[in-house]
Amino acid sequence: MQLDFSSKETWLHRINPSLKLFVLIMLCIVVLLVHNLLFMVNLTIIVLILFLCFTGQPLKRILLLFIPFFVVFLSTSSSMILFGQGNTTWFKWGLIHITEESFFRGLLVGFRALLFAVLGLTFALTTRPVYLFYSLMQQVKLKPKYAYSFMAALRLIPIMLEEFQTIQNAMKVRGVVRQTGIRSVFFKMKAYSIPMLSGSIRRAHRIAIAMEAKRFSDTRDRTYYYEIGFSKHDLVFILYFVILLLGGYYGAVKGI
Amino acid sequence: MTKGLKLTDILVTIVIAIAFGIVYILWGSVYYALKPIGLHADQFVYGMWFIAATVAFLIIRKPGVALLAEIAAASGEFLLGSPWGLTVLLYGVVQGLFAELVFMAFKYKRFHISVAILSAIAACLGSVLMDFAYGEIGKLAAWNLTLFMIARFLGSILFAGVFAYYLVRVLEATGVTNLVRPASSKDYAELDQK
Repeated sequence: MQLDFSSKETWLHRINPSLKLFVLIMLCIVVLLVHNLLFMVNLTIIVLILFLCFTGQPLKRILLLFIPFFVVFLSTSSSMILFGQGNTTWFKWGLIHITEESFFRGLLVGFRALLFAVLGLTFALTTRPVYLFYSLMQQVKLKPKYAYSFMAALRLIPIMLEEFQTIQNAMKVRGVVRQTGIRSVFFKMKAYSIPMLSGSIRRAHRIAIAMEAKRFSDTRDRTYYYEIGFSKHDLVFILYFVILLLGGYYGAVKGI
Repeated sequence: MTKGLKLTDILVTIVIAIAFGIVYILWGSVYYALKPIGLHADQFVYGMWFIAATVAFLIIRKPGVALLAEIAAASGEFLLGSPWGLTVLLYGVVQGLFAELVFMAFKYKRFHISVAILSAIAACLGSVLMDFAYGEIGKLAAWNLTLFMIARFLGSILFAGVFAYYLVRVLEATGVTNLVRPASSKDYAELDQK
């Protein structure tokens, strides 16, 4: 199965990955402290512009990726809207009690979840994991043994998926009888997780031994295949958020 | 003996964690399948998202493994494009930290099922704290919040505690855990018997 995930490179791809991650995490912490619905909506729009215009993905795929966002938005806001506390009742039916306060709080929570989701996906779509870990080693001084372990583990994902299919086929070939009910769930969990986990552990162990046999060292003054630095795109990225955050806040205060 | 985790420990931990990262992503659809039932039935399966910390620690049995595993699982989930995006990363750090604290409280020397359950409860507590900030669940009606908590804690105990413990027990039977665990005093005693 060969999926085509090719996309254009945009300026978001060229931002230093560590810096990008840092800015996004800071933004998330700010968002946790925001309790103004208008400001939250403005923030979401700011981030959505980045996601829609600058991830370099074709429009069709962007729309497809949008579907889970709606689910996240609805699921996060719905229970607050339906069951939240509040005084000004709009609607009451059995356990459901919609009040003005709970409705707006629900929207706030929903937009917050949406914002986090869009930020995360924007990052994931515009960052190559290998560059991220090289950059973390070079700029944040992450220990190489952690960074290389992550990179090796990410490489193992396709192998794990293949293994999953092998197990599936093997069970089919050997005519494993389909059980029903709750027991089948436990049987399946065991049948898949144990061979996959033990196989993965063995493989990881072998890789670690091979790395050490080839003199993998944990010194920080090592040389790197990819040298990741900073560029003017980083400045643009920071300025984008600073200006629009201030603008969004101003707009929210003025009631736009 | 060198201090801290060796390359082997880290690599094995992260590979286990990334495997669970894939499970975490797939688990999102289970979570949403239960959502329409309403009344926080979905919270019951939430505990699955704490399992990496417990399993990794029970396999490798070294300090720092639980935290590393939960962070790695979360970043794997994040990099593969979870619909929750950056949320999972922040939650992962907090949950891993809480689980780690429990193992630390037992000086990394207890591997009984009760410790696994305690760490699951701690991780759950961490996630609930995050939910107070992120989902403002403190503002839910009291009966609804209670239901939410009961479902989440029960689910955590079942998935990240009991299920994780038995998963590792079965793994032990395959012999793979001997590769990565530090030698215990029992192993030395066995050598002496001859």
